[in-house]
Amino acid sequence: MTPQEAAVMVCAAIAVYAAIRVALEPDTLRKLPFLNVLSFAITGVIALVLPHPLGIVAAAAYFVGSTLESNAIASTYAGGLDRRE
Amino acid sequence: MNPEFILGAFLLLAGTVAAAFPRPRTYLNRLINLEISSWGLLLLMLSYNEALALLTFGGVSALTVYIFVRVLQKKEAAG
Amino acid sequence: MQEGSIAVNEMVTVSCGALIVIGTILTIKESDPFRKLISLGIMIGGVMPFIVDRGLLDVAIAVALIAPLSTLFTLMICGRGEP
Repeated sequence: MTPQEAAVMVCAAIAVYAAIRVALEPDTLRKLPFLNVLSFAITGVIALVLPHPLGIVAAAAYFVGSTLESNAIASTYAGGLDRRE
Repeated sequence: MNPEFILGAFLLLAGTVAAAFPRPRTYLNRLINLEISSWGLLLLMLSYNEALALLTFGGVSALTVYIFVRVLQKKEAAG
Repeated sequence: MQEGSIAVNEMVTVSCGALIVIGTILTIKESDPFRKLISLGIMIGGVMPFIVDRGLLDVAIAVALIAPLSTLFTLMICGRGEP
């Protein structure tokens, strides 16, 4: 087993563990950090699974998009922008 | 029978049944369940290596969700 | 699969399939819209490595940038009804 395959395996294991933790969490706001952990792990899998120069760009695009989505969900759940009195 | 085909067929069937009979019968739940079916169709297109179809469908899918959201907002405003 | 690329090993395929199945079942079972959207995020994270594994990297970039827009459009209607 090459070190690259070992790194991919570690990232996949972290992703499955984060998904199980999200599934078993009763509080909605506590789900969001584990969603971030899952997105980091998926970014690692995308960057490591195919040795191609464009793979880094795909990983960065997924990272930006997933972080934006998670922060938008947290911001809307915590009150949103349209809470002006 | 690669894993993309099996997972895409599962997502398409589960999303269609969930969009037809949502648990709380609201339009928002129906719209979110419709996205499961959309990703299943995307995975099924990936199984046949259709790159142009994937690009077009991925672009139009967000536009469809935006149009549905505007329709629901108008319906909420009208009462 | 083109030459020069390592074949994705079975464990990554099985874990991403498990991610998709967990996200789908969780999305269907939840009733709060925010919890449904979080579960949909899990499912999208499971779909994305399959696109990269085929070598369609331009499609992966486009889908990764468009998929959060769909969630943002859904959140526009999500915040209204919830106090």
